[in-house]
Amino acid sequence: MGLIKKLPVYTEHIPGGSLVTTSVNSVLTMAQAKSLWYLLFGTACCAIELMATGASRYDFDRLGMIFRASPRQADIMLVAGTITKKMAPRVKRIYDQMAQPRYVLAMGGCAIGGGPFYYDCYSVLKGVDKIIPVDVFVPGCPPRPEALLQGCLEVGKKIRTLKLDEWS
Amino acid sequence: MTKAELTAHITTTFSGQVTVIENTQPEPYFIVKPEDLVAFARFIHDDSALQLTFLMNLAGADTGERYEVVYNVCSYQLKHRIFFKIQLPHDNPEFDTVIQVWPGANWFEREVWELFGMTVRNHPNLTRFLLEDDWNEGFPLRKGWTGTDFIPLPDRG
Amino acid sequence: MAEELRTEDMTMNMGPQHPSTHGVCRLVLTLDGEVIKDCQPVIGFLHRSIEKMCENRTYAQCIPLMDRFEYCTSMSCNWAFCLAAEKLSDIKVPERGEYLRVIMGELNRIASHLIFVGVTPMDCGALTPFLYTFRERERIMDLFEMTCGQRLTYNYIRIGGVAKDIPPEFIPKCREFLDIFEEKIRDYEKLLVDNPIWIARNKGVGIITPQLVYDYCISGPSARASGVNFDIRKNDPYSIYDRFDFDIPLGTGGDCYDRFNVRVNEMRQSARIVAQALDHLPDGEIRVKVPLKFKPNPGEVYSRRENSRGEMGVYLVSDGSTKPFRIRARGGSFSHLQAVPHIVKGLKIADLVAIFASMDIIMPEIDR
Repeated sequence: MGLIKKLPVYTEHIPGGSLVTTSVNSVLTMAQAKSLWYLLFGTACCAIELMATGASRYDFDRLGMIFRASPRQADIMLVAGTITKKMAPRVKRIYDQMAQPRYVLAMGGCAIGGGPFYYDCYSVLKGVDKIIPVDVFVPGCPPRPEALLQGCLEVGKKIRTLKLDEWS
Repeated sequence: MTKAELTAHITTTFSGQVTVIENTQPEPYFIVKPEDLVAFARFIHDDSALQLTFLMNLAGADTGERYEVVYNVCSYQLKHRIFFKIQLPHDNPEFDTVIQVWPGANWFEREVWELFGMTVRNHPNLTRFLLEDDWNEGFPLRKGWTGTDFIPLPDRG
Repeated sequence: MAEELRTEDMTMNMGPQHPSTHGVCRLVLTLDGEVIKDCQPVIGFLHRSIEKMCENRTYAQCIPLMDRFEYCTSMSCNWAFCLAAEKLSDIKVPERGEYLRVIMGELNRIASHLIFVGVTPMDCGALTPFLYTFRERERIMDLFEMTCGQRLTYNYIRIGGVAKDIPPEFIPKCREFLDIFEEKIRDYEKLLVDNPIWIARNKGVGIITPQLVYDYCISGPSARASGVNFDIRKNDPYSIYDRFDFDIPLGTGGDCYDRFNVRVNEMRQSARIVAQALDHLPDGEIRVKVPLKFKPNPGEVYSRRENSRGEMGVYLVSDGSTKPFRIRARGGSFSHLQAVPHIVKGLKIADLVAIFASMDIIMPEIDR
């Protein structure tokens, strides 16, 4: 948005057209932030809210986000649902298969810190950030679709602040 | 059949020994000896007046003094139901499988073995399925079990 | 060209992360080319030990945990648990509370079947019904949100009644939804029922015989599609279901096509029940006064409910204290997944996807 407002300042009119100067970093990070393709990784209840966010009322596609089933084709992993200790090595494996630059959004109480399954539970991993680095946490049980959309916009804002050599 | 008719039919017709538990629910409740389990299951499944073909639930329980395995069965055709259970001692809990009567009991029995530690004789595939593959902390649903990474709920009165 | 073709069997993994496994289920397939020779489900990836947790919580604290047992129909799970606790202590729920429970339970059944009607064609490749059905589902979520504040895990049905009364705008909005719903069901049918691709993918695929239904204790719409007429609401009525007039849709072939049609017709019947309940909704109390630390009489009880996926049962043992001694919650999918390896032998992988989707299996019921 900042680039478009300042466009008249940076534009030079030359015969036959015009020229815009900007930095490669801001164009590439804007392109990345506006088209994050997410990996369908719903395990539990939050997966239903993820599907509802992708449906027609709260549309993910207007933010440029479309679902992909394969980790090789995805930019962001939306970890939606409880991660058990049996599932944890598989989560790590799928995260390793994603190509860089890759981002992770932890959706729901269970993915953040165990959620309602923190006490008296012997099989739940209490937070997915114990095995993979998480960029944005979206709290809720399950979070509303609007909260999830805001979480994805926050990931976009975070991407805009990164420098080229920090992409990893 | 009503509760009284079911109780009367089963206690008079079954060849082994069956104890009736008094309860306030509409289903009759029996205690069967572990040795008679398969014969009892076959009897209630095949008998034309009972036809108890639908195994609704098979659950294990740890009462503190002994283990119990509870069976809740009902009939698709005649629409009545009964409960029965077997009681096993703490030091050697073993019982026979009823897969030959109800093939759908397969995973129920596997779960009872995995979470309580009760061995099921003649089961085709008694392997771990709910817990992690390298689980070595005992049997979680027994009373008084605690494991590593088990944070109990604080008691706030 | 004189090389010999290698024809040994291949073992392939349809892993826990897969768009068509409806949650985290792993299927280990033994394949001869594209034909399945054996299929072994590996489960336990969502084992959250709800039963052990319930043993250390009061009855009121168990209800939100039971929500997560089967999140597509949380009202059902709440209701099954409350039925069990009420049976132990002979609590009689007031009339308005019963009618509200029926309205919410049936709306929840419609919402769950809408997920099914949206996601099953998606597995077979048709993406449009998903967008249509979730649009209707959002209207039901609006109704639930205005009543209890939540969209998915409601914690609404409590021991002795329901938590809150419906606001005045609920009834007109619900009637508006029911008025347009029949036309929307016809839209879904226009897209799929006579569609040659849908018929080729589903008709004659994955036939479940009545003998398989009896052997593996299959219940719910999957059993009714094979012709077994068994619905707990008619055969073993609980609550006030004997006052309503509704039909039980039955199928004849037991294939995927019939299972789909049975569920679509069940949505119509549920809408009929909700309309009748709204017409006869009485005034009065919604809940009987029950102490916060509820102590039922000691005993054992098994309460069952007709859920959208089969029979939902709760076996509850109480020792007279404020915490349940043992809970064993039983969902329909636990038995259905045991039958899947017997249905898919000899079929192709694409058929496995269609069968898995049509059985409407959901993993938290299996793993708990």
